[in-house]
Amino acid sequence: MSRSTTIQAPGLSSYLKSLRSTPVEASIEHFISLLKRRQIRNSRPCALATTQLLIQVVKEFKGKDADKLLRRIRDVGRRLIAAQPREMVVGNIVRRVLGLIREIKDDDADADSNAVNSDAGSPTPHHDSLNRPHLASSISTFSPLRHGALPPMDTTSGPESLADSGELPHRPALFSSHTSYAPLGTSLFGLFSQPDTPSNTSTPTGRHSPTGKHTMTASALERIGESTILKRTNIKAEVLEGMNELQDELEQSDDQIAANALDHIHSNEIILTHTASTSVQKFLLAAAKKRKFTVVHAEAHPNDHDAVHATILTGKKRDAEVISEEAGDRWKPLTAAGITVVLIPDSHVFAIMARVNKVILATHSVLANGGLVAAAGARVIASAAKVHRTPVVVVTGVYKLSPVYPFDIDELIEYGDAGNVVPYDDGDFVDKVDVDNPLYDYVPPELVDLYVTNLGGHAPSYLYRIVADHYHPDDINLSGAVERDEK
Amino acid sequence: MSAEPADTGETPAAPTPATSDPAPPPNAPPTAEKGAPEKPALSGAELKKRAKAEKAAKRAQQKAATVGISGAPQDSKPVQQEPKQQKKDGKQTSKEPKQGPKEAGQPGTPLPMRRRQSVTLPPPKEKEEVVKQVGLFGHLYGQPKQHSIAGAAKEVHPAILALGLQYSSYVICGSTARCVSMLLAFKKVIESYTTPKGQALARHLTAHHLSPQITYLQACRPISISMGNAIRHLKDLIVKIDPAVSEADAKEHLIDSIDSFIRERITAADELISSEAMTKITPGDVVLTYASSTIVQTTLLKAHNAGIPFRVIVVDSKPLYEGKALARNLAHHGLKVSYSLISSAAHAMKSVTRIFLGAHAMMSNGRLYSRVGTAAIAMLAHERDIPVTVLCESVKFTDQVALDSIVKNELASPEELLSENERSALVDLLPKDKSSSADKNEEVMKWWRDEPNLQILNILYDVTPAEYISIVITEHGSLPPSSVPVVHRISTNT
Repeated sequence: MSRSTTIQAPGLSSYLKSLRSTPVEASIEHFISLLKRRQIRNSRPCALATTQLLIQVVKEFKGKDADKLLRRIRDVGRRLIAAQPREMVVGNIVRRVLGLIREIKDDDADADSNAVNSDAGSPTPHHDSLNRPHLASSISTFSPLRHGALPPMDTTSGPESLADSGELPHRPALFSSHTSYAPLGTSLFGLFSQPDTPSNTSTPTGRHSPTGKHTMTASALERIGESTILKRTNIKAEVLEGMNELQDELEQSDDQIAANALDHIHSNEIILTHTASTSVQKFLLAAAKKRKFTVVHAEAHPNDHDAVHATILTGKKRDAEVISEEAGDRWKPLTAAGITVVLIPDSHVFAIMARVNKVILATHSVLANGGLVAAAGARVIASAAKVHRTPVVVVTGVYKLSPVYPFDIDELIEYGDAGNVVPYDDGDFVDKVDVDNPLYDYVPPELVDLYVTNLGGHAPSYLYRIVADHYHPDDINLSGAVERDEK
Repeated sequence: MSAEPADTGETPAAPTPATSDPAPPPNAPPTAEKGAPEKPALSGAELKKRAKAEKAAKRAQQKAATVGISGAPQDSKPVQQEPKQQKKDGKQTSKEPKQGPKEAGQPGTPLPMRRRQSVTLPPPKEKEEVVKQVGLFGHLYGQPKQHSIAGAAKEVHPAILALGLQYSSYVICGSTARCVSMLLAFKKVIESYTTPKGQALARHLTAHHLSPQITYLQACRPISISMGNAIRHLKDLIVKIDPAVSEADAKEHLIDSIDSFIRERITAADELISSEAMTKITPGDVVLTYASSTIVQTTLLKAHNAGIPFRVIVVDSKPLYEGKALARNLAHHGLKVSYSLISSAAHAMKSVTRIFLGAHAMMSNGRLYSRVGTAAIAMLAHERDIPVTVLCESVKFTDQVALDSIVKNELASPEELLSENERSALVDLLPKDKSSSADKNEEVMKWWRDEPNLQILNILYDVTPAEYISIVITEHGSLPPSSVPVVHRISTNT
């Protein structure tokens, strides 16, 4: 796949290096396998890798049609999410990019309310009315029923045949049910865009080059509505610009969060934190420049304790090599900043909570209801804080904010290596006893008092608004959105 | 080195008293030999203690002289031990009046030697004793814990010496186990006791013979509530002994009383409690327990043997991992056991229908003082309305009160918190200038220690609020936590 896998242990840094030189489709596959093998894990690395990969996808995208690009990104996104659904950050980044494209598209549509409006602005209401019954009938795009309904798309290598105008006559027959709903303008677009989606999703290994396909479809489109498309020639550049901003946001979010630190930490405070987190570390370091306080650090045994020890002693996590290269020598442990750090095991949380002024939690991802998924042990800490009336502050970048509502909490929790709890060499124990090692805890919103993001402080009840600001409603359910667009 | 013969001289005698507990003789003498030169001559309290011991030794020597034994202590020792052995076996009293002072005198002579040596030798443990204190818990840092029998007062009985080491190394861990083992050792101490001339047993035994033992045990690991209650009970018994009663009878009475104390307050109580608690388990239950409690184990095994189908979740925590042994035992007996650590307690709680907790002590205000982490488990259970059952013998009840886990607690060494694996995981992160060719693990430990603002907290207990406890099962019946002071009064008045 990628050369980097053979050279060194694959991870975020090797992947980012390989991105430039590797074809996009291979990069996607590589990222999927890295996600599946958990060689890229945790929010920040996943977010960085997803952003970089999507930038490559957009760069490589040859067409000029925003809808096409949307679909392309969504397809890639769906594959990435399917690879590791519990890394919700991947989905967040995909949705952010989709939202970006939609925004640019809508801006274009607003700019000239002529023909463009009919295909860029109007589809949404149509989709809604179209989609509801449609979604229920075909739950999965991968179901055999679905494939059965679209035999030509699966077998033929769509693009060429699509480009031929000869295809046009029998298309309405296939999609008669859909075309009947839509006005002529949209249905015409649908004719050409339709085959793309299933062929993309059903061929995850990239049997044919998506590049070629998109060029062909785009050229076909150009033939049909040249006047419309000309106005959107710069869409790719705009999207890339937006994605670079997103990239900057990822890189700067910790510093932006840290800028708030002095608003939340007073002198001589006793602050309890949990697990190793770059965001929290920077947040506390920023406060340490001005104020003296005590940090009680719960070590998150058995999964993150090594990272906690490393953070306490050196100021950075072991796996933070990529970030540390950029940051140079700005990394120092809190103790070097004159902060007293007390390491405690997780069992001490309740005992020490009576004297703790504030709990600062790191998070894996934040959910739209104001709850969060954080390293195992966070729930005990949040509950203990609640019964001691200690405020709980969650420090997180907006990129970790996911539009997902936790209807099924167990679905969000990943289980880790039981060998971390009881080593496998303890044979008879492991044989007879079930050993559990969940990696994450769900913390309900009522246990959280405040979220500090790169946008400022928010109450948990306000997060839904931030979700609405950052994600387009159509993108929230990515698999559903695909159905929706297939009209 | 005259200290050596003094210590080894006791070995032949030790095995006999220690028949029930074979640990003391092999452990005690070698550690003593090693420990003597290592003795750090540091803290004021220790110096005071030693001065006191020395004074006592001199006094004893003088007494011995007046009695008329003038033989060199070193020579006479093996000979003297023989009668001691006999006395223990057959409870003979013939030689006792002479022996008491002699025994006290023997270690007395080498003791000054020991001290002189320690002055010349560099104290190797000095570095470890400079413990960084966690501010909030500063009041709990007292004397560093005793990990060897060096510096123990000479009156300390070998059985107690060995016991102390087992306490400090957590070989004997848990309130009940510590209490029982202490009482058994005290039996040996009383057996080997002889009242000096002109003293009444009722006055002398407690003050001059039992107190050094207790002081030593306290130095090894702070006395548990149950031990305190047992000691109080024993002292009470001693004081009440009629001076007219012969010493042999008095000792026999004391030993019988200790036996019946163990039988009534612990063995029988455990039986009652586990039978009662067992009835709380219904088929299909999922019982969660935290760390390890003998009585919880007995209860679960009883229920299992009674054919009740249920599942057990053992939640555990570092660094002691006591629950591992419990889980292993239960699984060995065929129970369905899951095991997880306290960080995943919220997950473990999902399917649980009942919580069984052991206790270190029940406070007079209804709070439970138990292994650190218990409070978090009880809190999670309370959140989910899962009944929390505390199994606790009334010997663990105390009239002390506690509001939080900070005012009163026991500190363990911070070094215990970092396991071998965790230390070695940090080796490659060692700063270049600090890593030397020396032992890497030791380097890592030094790194932790030398970091000026870095502290490690390792407490052993926490206090669970009374409102999280649904029921306390004792041998007096099942009670709400608010009834603890009442039961304590009843059990101490009888």
